[in-house]
Amino acid sequence: MKFQKTGYHGLYFPELGISLDGYHPKAEQTFVSHAHADHMPRNRATRACATKATLELLKLRGYKGSETVLDFSEKLELPKCTVTLYPAGHILGSAMIYVESDAGSLLYTGDYRTPPSPATEGFESPTSADFLITEATFGLPIYKWKSYEELTKEIQNFALETLQAGETPIFLAYNLGKAQEIMHLLAPLRHPVMIHGAGYKLCSVYDAHGIDLGNYSAYDRGTCEGKILIAPSSALSSGFASNVKKTKVAYCSGWAANESRRTQLTVDKLIPISDHLDFFELIDFCKKLNPGKVYITHTPNPAVVQHYLEQENINSAYLEMEAEPED
Amino acid sequence: MATTFLQFCTVVQKIRETRGSNAKTRLFADYLAALETADELNLAAQFIGEGAFSELSGKRASVGSRTSGLAAAEFCEIDYDRVFKPCRTATGSSSETIERLMENIPAAIKKRVPENLSLDDIQEIAVNLYSASGRDQKKEILHNTWRKMAPIEIKYFIRMLGQGSLRIGFETRSVVASIAKAFGRDREAVRYAHMITGSLGKTAALAKENRLDEARFTLYTPLSFMLASPIESRAVENLAQYVAEEKFDGMRAQLHVDGDTIKIFSRDLNDITNSFPDIVEFFSQRELPATVFDGEICVYKDDTILPFQLLQKRMGIKKPGKKVLSQYPVLFIAYDLLYTDDEPIFHLKLTERRALLEDVAGKYTLPITSQNSLENEDDVDTLFKRALEHGNEGLMLKLKESVYEYGQRKKSWLKVKKPGGSFDTIMMYAHAGSGKRGGTYSDFTLGISVKDDERYEEEFIPIGKAYGGYSDDELKRMNRMIKEITVERYGPTLGLLPKLVVEIEFDEVQVNKRTKAGYTLRFPRFRAIRWDLGPDDVDTLSDVEEYYKQFIEKKRLPQHKNPSFTFE
Repeated sequence: MKFQKTGYHGLYFPELGISLDGYHPKAEQTFVSHAHADHMPRNRATRACATKATLELLKLRGYKGSETVLDFSEKLELPKCTVTLYPAGHILGSAMIYVESDAGSLLYTGDYRTPPSPATEGFESPTSADFLITEATFGLPIYKWKSYEELTKEIQNFALETLQAGETPIFLAYNLGKAQEIMHLLAPLRHPVMIHGAGYKLCSVYDAHGIDLGNYSAYDRGTCEGKILIAPSSALSSGFASNVKKTKVAYCSGWAANESRRTQLTVDKLIPISDHLDFFELIDFCKKLNPGKVYITHTPNPAVVQHYLEQENINSAYLEMEAEPED
Repeated sequence: MATTFLQFCTVVQKIRETRGSNAKTRLFADYLAALETADELNLAAQFIGEGAFSELSGKRASVGSRTSGLAAAEFCEIDYDRVFKPCRTATGSSSETIERLMENIPAAIKKRVPENLSLDDIQEIAVNLYSASGRDQKKEILHNTWRKMAPIEIKYFIRMLGQGSLRIGFETRSVVASIAKAFGRDREAVRYAHMITGSLGKTAALAKENRLDEARFTLYTPLSFMLASPIESRAVENLAQYVAEEKFDGMRAQLHVDGDTIKIFSRDLNDITNSFPDIVEFFSQRELPATVFDGEICVYKDDTILPFQLLQKRMGIKKPGKKVLSQYPVLFIAYDLLYTDDEPIFHLKLTERRALLEDVAGKYTLPITSQNSLENEDDVDTLFKRALEHGNEGLMLKLKESVYEYGQRKKSWLKVKKPGGSFDTIMMYAHAGSGKRGGTYSDFTLGISVKDDERYEEEFIPIGKAYGGYSDDELKRMNRMIKEITVERYGPTLGLLPKLVVEIEFDEVQVNKRTKAGYTLRFPRFRAIRWDLGPDDVDTLSDVEEYYKQFIEKKRLPQHKNPSFTFE
């Protein structure tokens, strides 16, 4: 199967006339796996085919091109291929893109998480594919996630213990996806939550798709004390809640698994909660799908994943996507 | 109930995760207060502050990060080069990597059955590692130990084997504060007992039993050294409160003498007596009563103090031969007196100790440092210049009213050092940082140019490795640039195109035959990233050689006029 890099992080398939997560002038259709910036078409005047939730989020983040909604499991017949989206469990609307054609079947994972994040539509996968293009963000055996049950307890306890001590808990979480996931896990507490502006405007899409984000409002400096606060990690250095005397800060990310993040960010707690699958799930997934060839992207350590796939007799190659100039 | 090593590690981890030194101190104080036996107390204080062995023992388990890494890879049944090393690069910490692999990898999980080892067990294992010879024996002991441990125990066990701090933001000062808090003792009394005993474990036991006043100085047991702070960070308000001494280009040492029994200790409290039979001879001839000096060992020949580089030729040698002794004769120059007339005197003021030191030196004909009073900045400048002319490093300013206290005591002692030299170098390799710089490329191998040098085929060869002196923003900018100029990858190391020029500063150039250049730099650090310069502007090996030659051959002012020490 022929493909080439296109756009910022995308792929163009000349034989199929489509591109994935990146614009190409010759592509008849561009499929977008999810609404994170590194997968979103940079050229705003392009077209995007994605799930309804993804398109709604893209629009809120500035996308202005033409849209085609494709629901999960619904087959889109194109002249040279058939495309189906599978829920990827990464963030709301996130999809794996399954392409069937004469050249064989291809599963492009985008970013994915199994077991799926509770703030998504779940996770589902085709049972086989000839080619797999998979992300491997956490492609080292030092990354193994706790269950959502444990993580939920950890997150709720941090909020409750901090509030009980008369202090204000701050969760540092990325604006789209992680922020809403944390809010969803805290929702059963029914304690008022305030979320930083950039994340707040995206919450309506989660509401509309039936994800309970609890009792939340937009961050307000004057009244934020005693609420549970959600902000991206960059917010602290620009004065977020700096008027509140006693705060406790938890950094929520897969990278929180690394102890070095503690001093780099000066936080009270590291909560390793990721919207990507861990190393062991990744290898398992490849084994189950057992494709003819695996292409590994989005990782600084492709050789480690390849080493493990080799032991399972799975043919693989590294597909470098980073550091490509924008078209 | 007796404590287990797992409980100890859990408290240590909690201290790591807690912000604020008071809260950290409280956590450890509570733990210490609940311990039942003196033995446990001793080990807990030692483990957290000194390592698997007490500092006084001078022992080390000698398990390097390669040994433990290879052992861990084998235990986890993973490839060391292909899997372990990339993991270590990502975390920036070998012990943390091992902890997480032990936690995650099925093969390792299957082998481990935590057995609630006691602190005593840990001590015993450390002794076994110390006695074991060779990597294979050590590996076997490590494997057998890890089988009985939880991942968090494995992490801190490995860190303890490295001796020193556990890297949890909890240094000796905090351990001392915890001991005081645990048993309701005066912090100064605990600190004093620690200085005398040189042992956190013994100090804790004395504090618990309310026997701190029994902490007595004993001859031939080294005391922790008093250290100086750099003057830049401590503005001096009233110079007249200080006296100035030259900062010798030598090696700090503590000398204990009683008649013909002499012991010399280095700054890290190791017994270095055997390396300096000439000093032993010098003092035993003089038949001093029990006395302890703080001072400096210098190479001294023809009325001149010679460079530290020459002293280095003596430092490694346990039993120097006649030739070495005559080539590099040394002298112990005293500058403080800690024990005399059968009692310790470090609680006396500097002026009082100095008077006693002068008495002793006069009576037994000993070299002691010259002391100068100060009135203004000009005095400092004049003395500083003369110190450099003598070949010394700079000046020490000492507060007249200060008592002798171990560690860095704020403004009591200040050092004024000469600015180092500098070279423009090329960045050759970037290494993934460790500890708090984990995850970025923060250590750099810097090279000098040899492209017109017939002895070499390369364009550049390494001259030193630097990992400091840049700001966070500069580090970010460098990392962006590095991404663009990377041509090779060797695990955690990136090979770079010769593009980035760094001006480095260093204290001294030293000969080192084992390096490609034949020279290494002492304390290299960044002075500036020269975005304005290119690879053609880089200094050459001949420049380095010239610098060294000038330094070594520099005329050093003989001691007969305005000497940096007196020896009548």
